[in-house]
Amino acid sequence: MNKTTNVARYEYLHHVGSKRFWLYLVSVPLGFGLILVISLLLSRFSFDTRPVGIVDNGSLIQLEPDNSKESTFFNPQIYLYVYPDESTARSAASAGEIQGFALLPQDYPARYQLTYWTNKQPDSGIQSVITDFISANLMAAEHIDYAVLRRINEGSSISLQSLDGSQTSDGTSWHRIAVPVVIGVLNFIVVMSSGGYLLKALVEEKENRTIEIMLTSVPSREIMAGKIVGNLGVGLTQIVVWVLLLGIAGFLFRSKLGFLADIHLSGSYLVISLALMVLSFLFMAALMATIGAAMTSTEESQGVIGLMVLPMMIPFYFFNVFLSNPNGILARVLSFIPLSAPLALSLRMAISSVSPLEIGLVFVAIITFTLLMFWLAGVVFKRGMLQYSKRLSLKEIFKKETRNA
Amino acid sequence: MSTIIVDKIAKSFGATQAVQDVSFEVHPGEIFALLGPNGSGKTTSIRVILDIYQPDSGSVTILGGPMTNEKLNQIGYIPEERGLYQDVPLDRCLTYLATLKGLTEEQIKERLPEFLAKFDLTDHAKKKAKELSKGMQQKGQLIAALIHDPEIIIIDEPFSALDPVNTQLVKDLLIEQRNAGKTIVMCTHQMNQVEQLCDRLVLIDHGQVLMQGELSEVRDRFRTNEVVIDSLDPLPEKLNGVSRIERLNDSYRLTPQAGHSAHQLLDELLAQGIKLNSFEVAVPTLDEIFIQVVKEGNGKHE
Repeated sequence: MNKTTNVARYEYLHHVGSKRFWLYLVSVPLGFGLILVISLLLSRFSFDTRPVGIVDNGSLIQLEPDNSKESTFFNPQIYLYVYPDESTARSAASAGEIQGFALLPQDYPARYQLTYWTNKQPDSGIQSVITDFISANLMAAEHIDYAVLRRINEGSSISLQSLDGSQTSDGTSWHRIAVPVVIGVLNFIVVMSSGGYLLKALVEEKENRTIEIMLTSVPSREIMAGKIVGNLGVGLTQIVVWVLLLGIAGFLFRSKLGFLADIHLSGSYLVISLALMVLSFLFMAALMATIGAAMTSTEESQGVIGLMVLPMMIPFYFFNVFLSNPNGILARVLSFIPLSAPLALSLRMAISSVSPLEIGLVFVAIITFTLLMFWLAGVVFKRGMLQYSKRLSLKEIFKKETRNA
Repeated sequence: MSTIIVDKIAKSFGATQAVQDVSFEVHPGEIFALLGPNGSGKTTSIRVILDIYQPDSGSVTILGGPMTNEKLNQIGYIPEERGLYQDVPLDRCLTYLATLKGLTEEQIKERLPEFLAKFDLTDHAKKKAKELSKGMQQKGQLIAALIHDPEIIIIDEPFSALDPVNTQLVKDLLIEQRNAGKTIVMCTHQMNQVEQLCDRLVLIDHGQVLMQGELSEVRDRFRTNEVVIDSLDPLPEKLNGVSRIERLNDSYRLTPQAGHSAHQLLDELLAQGIKLNSFEVAVPTLDEIFIQVVKEGNGKHE
């Protein structure tokens, strides 16, 4: 056990001490943050915040436009100004004081048709600014409170509740799926990076022949266990650092993230999701060890990793199928596959009701797959690690060991 | 009691029979040579001894019983294919490998500087293995094999990549280890080193033992009555009691007829008035024995 700890410690410190690890650790959140900031800035700077004018030739407008809301960088407002005639509005538009103006013709109350004058494609918000103001005036003419009418138009918020009371959904809370998606993305990143480290370590030991010295110092199963634990530690370190960064970012921008308060996660949900992630990693680690032992060079093994990405990405490809039918055949099958299970099952649990029996069966299946993969990794490791120049064939992997003595 | 007993081991890989019915024993405190041409089954035999491979049949007894995790700490091994972590500083690499042999960090801190100094690697301890010469890497491997003070040292080609100075260093080291009571198994193609260092040997080819025994006993077994003389005078074409005269560079090799001894041959030469600078009974070199035995073995396999 002590040697397993030594192997795990070396693996952990070797990778955590490498430039590559720190580069990856910093570049992933930095990359995501940069993309987010760039998209926000691009969106903000392409948004025209200049006011919009309105000219009423149909004698409809009775109310003053509500320009009381403060326009900020992150929450820009488009103010509406009423102009007495078309020529004044046109002059203001030509001078760039306003981005365009709506002209209500005399026959507007009969035809409900207006013209928006501008030299550029209007942003999406402009139409609602104009129509909301006109609607409010139309309602005022009929002595109807526009706020009441808008509430009626919004309709009721329907909350879904499973019969056993275990799952709830208000039907509009998009952020419920955010948690499983974050779990899926974290799982993907950690499994691929830690699994990649493990594969690299194994193939390198085979390439530089260190493995033969290792095998005469530590039993092969202890080498494997040490490497898997060490690399799992590397993956968990990444998660802890990123979750801490997310937490710090969440704290700093807490005023903008009020919707997070609506996310209610049960303890069992988090435990199940975390357990699935760990099992998924163990399965991937054993798979990587199998590939590493069977291959002869780093380049050769990199090609095979690409194939491993596919099952992890399938739930993302079929996201709509999950949302429309979370308990359908596809969603259920993917819940039983170790690499897709973390996202598939946590997503299903977030948006529908999954029975405890099915969750139990998923765990039984994944633990069985993982144990089988460990057995296979052990066989391939012992048979393939000393084949330096020859790739281990399937026939050699499954050949029966003949030991008579 | 023998330190290592290899008893009729057999191991095949697919259709290839790597070793078959191989048996030999290694005694405590001796340098034992495991000899054989390339692909003869030496490495497979070593891997079976080290429990890396399970034999298809036969057994290995090491330090009085089967291999255990504890016994792994009693073995120092340098494989045929040398290996150090290429991107890791030498001292860190050696520290890690030493911990896998059961040494504590305190023990390593005490021993490693001594070994680095002994092998003249102190100034290179912080360099990565890939920055070291082959000879330096070889010395690093030797440190990894010796730092935990093992009872058994198994070295495949201990002198490869070493210059004459370092070759002597390693030879002295092996003798020092033997004198300290350690058991050493050495695989090499350098027969002159075997002749200088080894007490006993086994020769394997095509996965089978062709010959084994003490070095002196093996030599005696292949000794002939041939003599090598250095003469000031040219030899006559025929000599009584001599079946063959072979001219070497500065000497002659004489093969006596059956029933004639070297002593009789000397009498004959002196009787002929031939002036001699030297007269010695020709002992076959290990190289010659090796080639002869392997050729005979090949003849049997064909």
